[in-house]
Amino acid sequence: MTSTRLDLGHGIGLRTTHFAQFLAERPPVDWVEAVSENFMAPGGRPIAVLEKVRREVPVVLHGVSLAIGSVGPLDERYLASLAALVERIEPALISDHLCWGTHRGQYLHDLLPLPYTEEALAHVASRVAQVQERLGRRLLLENPSAYVAFKDSTLTEWEFLAELSRRTGCGILLDVNNVYVSARNFGFDPLEYLRGIPAEAVGYFHLAGHQDRGTYLFDSHDHAVPAPVWALYREALRRFGRVPTLVEWDDAIPPLSEVVAESRRAAAIEAEELSAPARRLAS
Amino acid sequence: MTLAETQALFCEAITGAAPLAADRLEACFAGTPELPAAARVAIYADMYRYRLIDALRVSFPELVRYLGDETFAALAEDYLARHPSEHHDVGQVGRHLPAFLRQHPDPERPDLADLAELEWTRQEVFFAPPAAPIGPEALAGLDAGGFARTGLRISPALQVLVQPLAAAPLWRRLEDGEPPDPPAPGPAAVAVWRTDFEVFHTSLPLDEAAALGAARAGASLADICAAFGEREEPAAAAHRALSGWLAEGWVVGTGR
Repeated sequence: MTSTRLDLGHGIGLRTTHFAQFLAERPPVDWVEAVSENFMAPGGRPIAVLEKVRREVPVVLHGVSLAIGSVGPLDERYLASLAALVERIEPALISDHLCWGTHRGQYLHDLLPLPYTEEALAHVASRVAQVQERLGRRLLLENPSAYVAFKDSTLTEWEFLAELSRRTGCGILLDVNNVYVSARNFGFDPLEYLRGIPAEAVGYFHLAGHQDRGTYLFDSHDHAVPAPVWALYREALRRFGRVPTLVEWDDAIPPLSEVVAESRRAAAIEAEELSAPARRLAS
Repeated sequence: MTLAETQALFCEAITGAAPLAADRLEACFAGTPELPAAARVAIYADMYRYRLIDALRVSFPELVRYLGDETFAALAEDYLARHPSEHHDVGQVGRHLPAFLRQHPDPERPDLADLAELEWTRQEVFFAPPAAPIGPEALAGLDAGGFARTGLRISPALQVLVQPLAAAPLWRRLEDGEPPDPPAPGPAAVAVWRTDFEVFHTSLPLDEAAALGAARAGASLADICAAFGEREEPAAAAHRALSGWLAEGWVVGTGR
């Protein structure tokens, strides 16, 4: 299952606190990302708002509960809810996370890291194939931010993702903030990470803020994109070219205008970076 | 370790009541001198508790107001130990809390289970499927025989609770920031419904609650109206109730 990269432009996460303002003002964003689980209920305000927004701009569905790496069976109830939402919204892309999060039927409601082993790779690859067949769509998986690694790991995260994409055709949602957070928490070179990701697999980028908690960085999504993440975003643009980019803000959510301003800043940086080679050639 | 063994250990480490022994964690997880394996795993254990207790706070705001943050968090920990999440939507984690409170009642406030049930029902109604209400004209065209035989389709965004103790007065006092009165006697019925995207509830007479229950079960209008048979003027009471249901948008169709 392959796919050419969509040219979606610059988007923001659609959050409950911004529903009314988003509909009233129709802010200058090219697309929105909706957390799938928040819109799966058959009625109520969230799905009604999402349907209205969908008439205005493309929507990407971004899940947090697929648990693609869990050893138990995939949750058919979840897949059915996701399939129904996909049919209702017709999203431009469908994504979730490279993680696990269920154990013996229990949901842990977290994006837990996997050991990067051949066993885990084979397991996740078979599950990605199942999900892509069930949905009839390509799945994109996001690199998680992590605080713990496993002694049994034999592959780096970027090697794991690259091979997973090669085996299944799944896309990669490259979260630039998560690369930075994990690089700091584990001491690897984020540029080596970027170099290890196959460009053709990258479907879109995430940008977000994090907290420095002294001995580690915490992926908090509670403030503006910090300078080191903007710097890594520039590197990612040089490596991957024009990629749809999404600003996430999930806690201590500011006014809509502030989130939109972050997205416009990403667009400006992209324009600057992508025009840089031409400028250099001209001079 | 296999993937299954790794996940079982990780799950035990983040959901268990006490931290696991450091040597068990260090056999699986890599740490650094600045941040040992146990401290790294503890980040996930903290997040697990925070996220689920926060989801319960969102579902039961008045219960939080009554108990206070600390007592509510202790209740939530006890509850989650018995009822871990089994649904992909974290917002569903509180579905067993009303029953849990009935099994473990607060001796001073046995109506907290009823309060939790009311709050949970308000949340369920908020996300119920939409349905367009009908007006009185839908019944006006029926002759007397047709009126008696037809049934009513009740909105999926309406639920009727019959509770051992009345939660609605306690909910109102807490919502208004007033000190709660002693538990109100029961049984008591309350209707919870959504209009557009706003949720409402109101106390109901028990016979009207029974009539709504009969309507939802597919009874004829004759049988629905019979629920008011104990009133002094049954026909007038049934007429008032039916008019109210139609005015509030609780009826979404006729027929059986």
